[in-house]
Amino acid sequence: MTTIEDFMVLVRDEIGLPLGPEDADLPLDGLPGWDSVHLLTLLTALERETGRPVSLPDVLAADSLRGIHRVAVGA
Amino acid sequence: MTATPAASPPPAAPSARAVAELHAAGRLATDYPRVRGLLADLPGAELARAGQVLARLDPDEVLRAHPSAPVVGIAVTGHRTLGTLVPPLTAELARHGLLARTHLSGFDGWVFDLGDPGSELYAARPDVVLCVLDPDVVFDEVPLPWTAADVERALDAKVALVRDLAAAFDRRGSGTLVLNTLPLPRRFTAQLVDYRSRARLGAAWRTANARLLALGEEFPSVVTLDLDPLIAEGIPAEDARLGRYAGVGLSPALLARYAREVGHLARHLTGRTRKALVCDLDGTLWGGILGDDGAEGVELGESPRGEAFAAFQRVVRQLGSQGVLLAVASKNDPEPVAAALRDHPGMVLRPDDFVRVTANWRPKPENLAELAQALNIGVDSFVFVDDSAFECGMVRHALPDVAVVRLAEEPALHIERLLSDGWFDTRELNADDRARSARYREELDRQGFLASFDSVADYLSGLGVRVRLAPVTAAEVARASQLTLRTNQFNMTGRRLQPPEVRAAADGPGSRVLAIRSADRFGDNGMVGVVLTRAEAGVVHIDNFVLSCRVFSRGIETACLSAVLADAKAAGAHAVEAVFRPGPKNAGARDFYPEHGFTRVGEAPGGGAVYRHDLARVPASPAHIEFTESQEESR
Repeated sequence: MTTIEDFMVLVRDEIGLPLGPEDADLPLDGLPGWDSVHLLTLLTALERETGRPVSLPDVLAADSLRGIHRVAVGA
Repeated sequence: MTATPAASPPPAAPSARAVAELHAAGRLATDYPRVRGLLADLPGAELARAGQVLARLDPDEVLRAHPSAPVVGIAVTGHRTLGTLVPPLTAELARHGLLARTHLSGFDGWVFDLGDPGSELYAARPDVVLCVLDPDVVFDEVPLPWTAADVERALDAKVALVRDLAAAFDRRGSGTLVLNTLPLPRRFTAQLVDYRSRARLGAAWRTANARLLALGEEFPSVVTLDLDPLIAEGIPAEDARLGRYAGVGLSPALLARYAREVGHLARHLTGRTRKALVCDLDGTLWGGILGDDGAEGVELGESPRGEAFAAFQRVVRQLGSQGVLLAVASKNDPEPVAAALRDHPGMVLRPDDFVRVTANWRPKPENLAELAQALNIGVDSFVFVDDSAFECGMVRHALPDVAVVRLAEEPALHIERLLSDGWFDTRELNADDRARSARYREELDRQGFLASFDSVADYLSGLGVRVRLAPVTAAEVARASQLTLRTNQFNMTGRRLQPPEVRAAADGPGSRVLAIRSADRFGDNGMVGVVLTRAEAGVVHIDNFVLSCRVFSRGIETACLSAVLADAKAAGAHAVEAVFRPGPKNAGARDFYPEHGFTRVGEAPGGGAVYRHDLARVPASPAHIEFTESQEESR
């Protein structure tokens, strides 16, 4: 999982929200159906997919899905 | 038996995708009855994904499409963040066909939630309250630096607080409060460097947990789930990062496992506890194939695999001793099966342990349906266990209400697989449960007896039925509650009562709970039914009437109803009113009141119809029944 597109697919599969690439830059609170608990689900999935630890405080501080992706791939 | 259809495609690995697709197509609510089947065999990670989708589904949307879908209101409160519990909880209930309506409290709101009668939690009128406690609920109160004695004091105070809240909950008399034992992580014990203090901390911690467990005995409305056996399966109790950064007290994996246990409890509370375990033989109760290998050739005892099968039989027998009806459904010739069950030296289970042994070459769903009829219970009371994917698939397809447990080829895994879903979990057992198998065997004997009579009337008069109606005693409250929970067919309103609710009805001014006991020439049936009555302004209301399916159609229901009517008349009432509320299985009881001189007078609040009897002519008790009635509680 390296691209933002792959990541958006992961988000869709893991938490079942019908999101498209256009939602990557929306503030998390603005995503339909978003709950902060989803961050924790995503963290687990990201670590499984990337095979390396992802910083939870940084994920919690991210303001969009693109921001979370940036934390995960270390960009 | 292992058999595989010739040209079936390999089955797809079960995944959450089907649920996600229903959701994407906007059909999740309308197709909700399919969800249970889609979730049945999902492994943990897939179930978690499905739970994410299901947790966002509005239960009211499902109810609009399926008004009779069973809903369980669950309030979640606790010490730390519990949002991660909601998706697995929703999925676990959905696995049992239950619709969860969850109310999630704010962070650390449990004391206020449970202690304040006006709290939002109580306002949500939940059926079940989950108060999820984690080790920090104690360690948050411990000073720095700390000793084992400090923890002991904090534990004492916390357990006392939990007890007060449990008592307050219990006094409300409705719903079930679920507590849990506290895991003890090494991150605390290892901070004490001397073994003596560490042992003292460990002992104090276990004492506190034992006191939490005892609350379930002290308060009938409380259940304490023991987390130790779940952690012993290898599930981490905590996640250090989620705990530190996200306020999550117990690990998501442990919360998911906890949710599974809550699913079993919810199934019980809604009257869906399974009653019978139907076992395959070849590959299930013994290894090998009886028809090919002969009785001497099957694996049972004496070899490592044979011992694994014997160990599994011991577990089946243990379940049978607690009121689970055991039966066999095997594709085999009947004679060798009967001989093996009777004579094989390694058998733990013997013919007497089973209410019925069916060995033939007919499709297993047919045998299961016939067994259900003979026992007069629904196939949804069955758990079917088999090692064959073919047989499991066939039963699941033909009888989707049967719980199917597919065993692996490795017999050492059979026990865990059978027990994994707590199919028979119940609040408490009583003498009736322990005698249940014998009673059902007697019932099958009665059916043989019936076949020898020309008419039902001859049969009934030969049966020597004795019925006793008397106010429920304190010792009978649990059984009375259980009858309302387990009985589905002759249950006039479907209302389930927990023990405190039974007690309240028995003690209430003007209201009575009457226990029905019966016996006949084949044996004592024990307590088989309950009538709840309430006198108000010259009218006696029958709030519910429940009779075990084991004994109806023998006139017992008529005898009891005529006694209630006669009593009402004698007490000066001018009418008796009763409600029939249709449920999924009580259609057979729909005409019970009209057939006994009641007339329909209107709709009942909450659904169903109100019937009224003017007491001008009270129906007679059937002549074949020896009926006694007592106004006293003494027996």
